[in-house]
Amino acid sequence: MRRLPVYFLIDTSGSMYGEPIQALNNALSGMVNTLRADAQALDSLWISMITFDREVKEIVPLTELPSFQLPEITCPQSGPTHTGHALEMLYEKVKLDIIRGSSTQKGDWKPLMFLFTDGKPSDLQLYREMLPKIKSLNFGAIVCCAAGHLANDSLLKELTPDVVHLDTADSATLKQFFKWVSETIEQGNKSQGTGESVTLPPPPSEITLII
Amino acid sequence: MSIITVKSILTDRIYQYVDNGDPKSGTAKNVYFSPDRKYVVAIFKEKQDFNQKERLTRIVTRYLDQIQSKEAGDYYLNEIYRWPTDLIETRDRIGIIVPIYNSKFFFAKGYSSSDLIKGEEKNGKWFAGAKFRNKLFPLSLDQTELGRWLNYFQIGINLSRGVKKMHQMGLSHSDLSYNNVLIDPSSGSACMIDLDGLVVPGLFQAEVIGTADFIAPEVLATKHLNKTDPSRKLPNRLTDLHALACLIYMYLLHRHPLKGGKVHDLDTEKDDLLSMGEKALFIEHPADLSNRPKMNQISKWDTYWADVNKIPYTITGPYLKALFDKAFIDGLHNPMQRPTAEEWEIALLKTTDLMQQCSNIYCDQKWYVFDNTTIPKCPFCGTSHQGTLPVLDLYYQFQPTVWRPENHRLMVYNNQYLFQWHVNRNVIRNERLTAEQKIPVGYFTFHEGKWVFVNQTLTSMVDKTEDKEVPVNTMVELTDGKKLLLSKEDGGRVILVTLANK
Repeated sequence: MRRLPVYFLIDTSGSMYGEPIQALNNALSGMVNTLRADAQALDSLWISMITFDREVKEIVPLTELPSFQLPEITCPQSGPTHTGHALEMLYEKVKLDIIRGSSTQKGDWKPLMFLFTDGKPSDLQLYREMLPKIKSLNFGAIVCCAAGHLANDSLLKELTPDVVHLDTADSATLKQFFKWVSETIEQGNKSQGTGESVTLPPPPSEITLII
Repeated sequence: MSIITVKSILTDRIYQYVDNGDPKSGTAKNVYFSPDRKYVVAIFKEKQDFNQKERLTRIVTRYLDQIQSKEAGDYYLNEIYRWPTDLIETRDRIGIIVPIYNSKFFFAKGYSSSDLIKGEEKNGKWFAGAKFRNKLFPLSLDQTELGRWLNYFQIGINLSRGVKKMHQMGLSHSDLSYNNVLIDPSSGSACMIDLDGLVVPGLFQAEVIGTADFIAPEVLATKHLNKTDPSRKLPNRLTDLHALACLIYMYLLHRHPLKGGKVHDLDTEKDDLLSMGEKALFIEHPADLSNRPKMNQISKWDTYWADVNKIPYTITGPYLKALFDKAFIDGLHNPMQRPTAEEWEIALLKTTDLMQQCSNIYCDQKWYVFDNTTIPKCPFCGTSHQGTLPVLDLYYQFQPTVWRPENHRLMVYNNQYLFQWHVNRNVIRNERLTAEQKIPVGYFTFHEGKWVFVNQTLTSMVDKTEDKEVPVNTMVELTDGKKLLLSKEDGGRVILVTLANK
């Protein structure tokens, strides 16, 4: 009944061209398969994907996992990284998509957002303008993944304390990361400790989590 | 890939496991297979303190011995539990040795449309929900995986026995959920796994409060209090009984008993906490209709089972209805009122005596519980029963001439067997029955337009209506109002025949 909406924001700027985008496609499809083999995820998960380079596109609108078809993600050979613009689209979409609780209708779970980037926002001013707006949406978790040495962790940390840095965007590392993403998404289904809040599961040891 | 040898810390036994660098990883443990794949070595990710070691030691020694040495030990250890058998240490981590799961608990086919989950564990969640049974759902399970309705009663019986045994030993599970139970609907089997978290009341405290959907209302309602606060409720025997009731309800009806349409707070987290905790309300409460599911807000894949007007819980029959009322109405906020595991076991068993096969070969459930009406029909596909239907009510001797009803009814269908536990009230139908007691004493069949009982082994059976003996290897016709004494021995019962659907 309650949906768990998950938004993926994926950097498709020029620097992703070539091997990185292949590795990303591969890792995403691994993640979707993991989730599609999880009864709990199939019951509640809704996924949306937004890509950003010079242009920002909602490549899959919010769709229930059983009907979700992962498209092949492509990117131009060069071009800027419009992260701010992507957040702007995300803000509009989330406001429209999410079912808020009312006296007659159960609301959705707090949405999750995963942002994957290998660079830094080219539209820095818009990016900074969007930060408070995104925070006002009350996400259950925002996780940023910064891949490669060009990615700027400190700018991402203005958006969320949960920034994972991957040294390379190769296939094995990305696979590990998205395995961790699916574990994060599946978290609510696990046994709950006698302690208080539910936290992110520990990330795989090979990658660095900056908190 | 390498084979690692480890040593028990309790005995001098040696174990081996294959380390391929990518173990199956659970919440708390990494799981490795032995080279012969007869057991797994599950190594804790975190260092375990003295108390934990002590608790695990008791599980693999004292409690294991208790199960082994008592009646039906094999049934529990081979069928119902994957009980840890030893404790090992490797470097500074400890691990447990657990027998491997039976192969029936892995999907032979999985989804009907792909091999994505073929070979994966049959986690109970696949069978608790409604979606995966809906043939139109893109990822529906193959028909061969789903079993029939009768199988889910057997699953409930096995689960109830598993919980009953733990409670008899003074243990509580504390985290009973579909994640910790593997089930195989086609054979009606259930197996409780991850038993290393068992709670010994007063000795070892619960580490977890449970898994969403199964946490008892009082535990959620006091979750905000400190663990040392005397009002804080942690998992115990009575919260297990809430989880057990939820599991049985979900396996039979494929919906959650408390997840209805009532909104308690506009904030999702708060609303969820209230509707599963302090304000929890049975979706089928007979007087308070406020938590009935709102059909327009149900996922389109779930609508068949979500409709409590079309598939009300009363289709599970009179014995289970009474227990669901106790669990979700009287006992929801009053834990002492909850039915015990043994009550569930008995009610489920008695209900299987009320079951009829649906005559519609396309019916997905194939079985249903006789609804006590004169014109019975299948609640799932609406097909009416064809022909007469003998209903047998069991009576026991209260005084030499006074026979009283047992509140136990047996519905007859073609080729159905009669057993010792129907004949004699001193024979209890449970896991402790001997092989001899499981042999049928006779059978019912529709023969040349008449319902008859064929006596195979009952040596002192009497047709009281005709006042004549029914010797072994003869038959007696079941007619309306007929009284049959099944045995003259102490505890022998009388059955009274009623022909329904005339």
